[in-house]
Amino acid sequence: MEDFTYTRPSSLSDAATAHGNADDAMYMSGGQTLIPVLKQGLAMPTDIVDLNAIGDLAGIEVAGGFVTIGAMTRHAVVAASAEVKSAIPALAVLAGGIGDPQVRNRGTIGGSLANNDPSADYPSAVMGLNATVVTDQRELAAEDYFDGMFATNLEPGEIIKAVKFPIPEKAGYAKFPNPASRYALVGVFVAKTASGVRVAVTGAGQEGVFRAASIEDALSGDFSAAAVDGATVPTDDLMNDMHADPEYRANLIKVMAKRAVDRANGQG
Amino acid sequence: MSKVELGQSLRRFEDQRFLTGRGRYIDDVNLDGQARAVVVRSPYAHAKINSIDTSMAMDMDGVLLVVTRDDWKREGFQPMPTKSAVQKNADGTPLKQPPRHCLAMDKVTYVGEPVALVVAETLQQARDAAEAVDVDYDELPALVDPVAALQPGAEQIWDDIPNNLCLDFELGDKDGTDAAFAEADHVVSLDVLNNRVTAVPIETRGCVADYDAATDQYTLYNASQNMHANRDTFAEVLKIDKNKLAHIAPDVGGGFGSKNSGYPEPPLCLYAAKVLGRPIKWINNRSESFLSDTHGRGQTARMELALTADGTFLALRINTIAGIGSYAWTVGPFTPTGGSARTSGGPYAFKAMHFRGRAVFTNTAPMDPYRGAGRPEATYNTERIVEYAARKLGFDPIELRRKNLMPREMLPHKTPMGLDVDCGDFPRLFDMTMDMANKADLSALRAKTEAAGKKFGFAIAPYLECTGGGPKEYAGVAFNKDGSVDMSIGTSSTGMGHETSLAQILAATLGIDVERVRFHQSDTTATPIGGGHGGSRAMEVGGSAVQQAAREIIELAKPIAARLLQSETEEVEFEDGSFKAGASSVSMNDVIEASQDADKLPEGMEPGCLDHSSVFERGIISVPNGVHAAAVEVDPETGVVKFLGYWIMDDFGKIINPLLADGQVMGGVAQGLGQAFLEDIVYDPDTGQLVTGSLMDYGLPHADEIPHMEIGYYEGEPTEKNPLGVKGAGEAGCVGACPAAVNAVLDALKDYGVTTIDMPLTPMKIWKAIQSGGEHDPHGLLGDAA
Repeated sequence: MEDFTYTRPSSLSDAATAHGNADDAMYMSGGQTLIPVLKQGLAMPTDIVDLNAIGDLAGIEVAGGFVTIGAMTRHAVVAASAEVKSAIPALAVLAGGIGDPQVRNRGTIGGSLANNDPSADYPSAVMGLNATVVTDQRELAAEDYFDGMFATNLEPGEIIKAVKFPIPEKAGYAKFPNPASRYALVGVFVAKTASGVRVAVTGAGQEGVFRAASIEDALSGDFSAAAVDGATVPTDDLMNDMHADPEYRANLIKVMAKRAVDRANGQG
Repeated sequence: MSKVELGQSLRRFEDQRFLTGRGRYIDDVNLDGQARAVVVRSPYAHAKINSIDTSMAMDMDGVLLVVTRDDWKREGFQPMPTKSAVQKNADGTPLKQPPRHCLAMDKVTYVGEPVALVVAETLQQARDAAEAVDVDYDELPALVDPVAALQPGAEQIWDDIPNNLCLDFELGDKDGTDAAFAEADHVVSLDVLNNRVTAVPIETRGCVADYDAATDQYTLYNASQNMHANRDTFAEVLKIDKNKLAHIAPDVGGGFGSKNSGYPEPPLCLYAAKVLGRPIKWINNRSESFLSDTHGRGQTARMELALTADGTFLALRINTIAGIGSYAWTVGPFTPTGGSARTSGGPYAFKAMHFRGRAVFTNTAPMDPYRGAGRPEATYNTERIVEYAARKLGFDPIELRRKNLMPREMLPHKTPMGLDVDCGDFPRLFDMTMDMANKADLSALRAKTEAAGKKFGFAIAPYLECTGGGPKEYAGVAFNKDGSVDMSIGTSSTGMGHETSLAQILAATLGIDVERVRFHQSDTTATPIGGGHGGSRAMEVGGSAVQQAAREIIELAKPIAARLLQSETEEVEFEDGSFKAGASSVSMNDVIEASQDADKLPEGMEPGCLDHSSVFERGIISVPNGVHAAAVEVDPETGVVKFLGYWIMDDFGKIINPLLADGQVMGGVAQGLGQAFLEDIVYDPDTGQLVTGSLMDYGLPHADEIPHMEIGYYEGEPTEKNPLGVKGAGEAGCVGACPAAVNAVLDALKDYGVTTIDMPLTPMKIWKAIQSGGEHDPHGLLGDAA
């Protein structure tokens, strides 16, 4: 690990200022990706701006048809939240399946989204539920937020404050873990909303999370697992590694979609 | 205070320390003034070294020393020759080995090979400086696949070693085997892969090296499981008298064979300690461990089985090729040759067998012991060809196995591989295992599984082991005036519980309280010899040494007891911790106390006269055996396997501590299932770069993937090869697990026509096998090379 300057501001504006004044700053949220990356020397920022002392970034609120989760809310808190379990149970299930207990007790939703690991769980919920990412500067729709593997449309220094999830009619999440790392080899978030069916896939796409149009079409008329059988998932843009080639990932996308639909329908 | 017995489940004394973070591992050893060392490792699988420029590194803050090949050449330090138990080719010529120095000399031959050692005041300074060592390489083509490396015209790693062939070994009766194949009604043949794996102990390798100029004495604290042999090796490298080097291991956090070898880093650190006059600490990190720890398994065998029309086995032919890395390591050439031959054929009766094994140099990390070192490979290969024969020829796999087991009356028997099977009751253990499994109601399990849209599979896998490792072991016992008893032993526990089980033997034999025993191990200054850990030897050889020492102490104590009892030595008998003469008796405790007191001793005996050491030497290795059975569920949509049941009967002879035996079995099964389903060392075939260089890609088994195991021990066939009647238990778990698990999966896939599949059985591989409908080339792995 290289030396860096560490600051722990207590307000969003102080954080942004600290970031702006540094040569090459990184924000730290839960640190569950950042710390290992620093230790391996894969990132060598001049400054770490720790967001953990900013009090009002954590918390869960259910109102007006939305579940709003503060950026610094830990995965374990989301997983255990009675409000989330009641409003969008699939989101609590997703949060409860991230990493291991240590990761869930430290990692945050904002950190996960800012990092946008192509195998992370949360991006599928944000995309699948058509959530809005609220920052210290603006609001970004899910479609506008993600920008490929480990990339987002956040501006340098921009800080995620919260994520607003519209409450769907029903939703389900199913993940197939990488046998070694247990990150999502394929994770599929399925939601039935007033404006239609959305199916978002994480872990599989070369450009990170994406919507599976063929499965959305199949489910639009018939929101059942059987309807997914007829869909064809193109393999062109799927990742290829030693654990899963595009053909196997395409199969898993359908199988996980079916299981997510079953769960959404209370059958899983 | 408590009396203990042999056969008692005693909880591990060391666990309090280990589980509460109070173990003292190598990174907990810190000496005054120590500097930190980091190894500069090769980034290439195969390259010529043109030059090494250390000037920039030497100019950096805190840098004290950079050791390179120039130092090694100038000092005339020696290479480490292989100690392989097989040293000769089938034609009688010696095996071929390049000089294995602690640093690469003219060329690097695998990614991770040490090229230089950088020493600095702090770890970070040493790391930074290691990056500044400028090595100029000319990259050469990399050889990853041993089959390709054997082909005529292949790139040669060593100019004087044609076809990269280290060792070409044969065992058995070739003509007899050929004749049996000629008369057979059926012959089946299949290439079987044993995937390359690495041990990934929780504690990575590391050492602290110290040199005292006043006494010209070196001390090496080292995370090793083989103290005395490696002390000798390191002394030979550095050209020092071995009595000038003390080799000591504190607690060691797992070894599994991977801490057995003579590694290059400790001599490098010893040299640096002498040059700088300061202690040197070096700790391998996890990424470096993947590159530079020894690997295991990694062999491919052409298995051929000859049978009669009714399914009686006639003969077995085995032809194995293994890539052992670029050098012949400590025992590397032995594992795929002699080490894999011995238990080939398992507990089945054969008229003839022939084994050929070739150890081939490749541009990969070194191959050396890995839990079982050849025996798991032998059993797996045997069980796979038996399963293949059953499926191809239409025999019931369970019946085919049962029918061909050596009957009890056939024992003692020397197998066609020369293994001396003295005792055992293979059919009885087979039936007992089937009874255990049948209690779980396999047909109900099958029905339930299939109703849920999954596939059910069951397999049974008998295994034959051979254990004992290094044949000699030392046990020393000293009685202290404070009542404690020091027991020093030359075996090395890397977490297996010797502190408990060996103390249990001493205390039970002497009839003293077990808490009095203070355990000492892994220290060349504490024991004159020591065989370390390997080959499941600790109980068989180490436990026997302890019991022998204790029995001799009882004899030494009889004259003292006789004096206390006012009797004659010949009249005194020892039983249950007491010496008896007629109606009167005196306890061992009282005799020990008397042995410290000159007034109570017979004439000619001195205080401390019961302090005693003994060396036990075994004869022929013992032959544990047993049976594993597994029931699995396969999800055909994803290829995921779930265990529905796992049953084991083991014959380890007499069981000293059933709780610890369970731990050995469960741990071994977990390790075997890791190999069967997850673990795979993968090198890029073109560049020789390690693909699975971290736990993100190298899958280790998680606790939730390991099934509950029902374990039974059959103690009706104790061996007479050692006084305890024990057979080694440490490796058997991973011998039985792979074949039971893989064949159970194959049973589940039979409706799809799948008759073979290679480890690791990842979900993708199982799913692909289902998609392919079982289409396969039985000789696809070795082709014409076998």
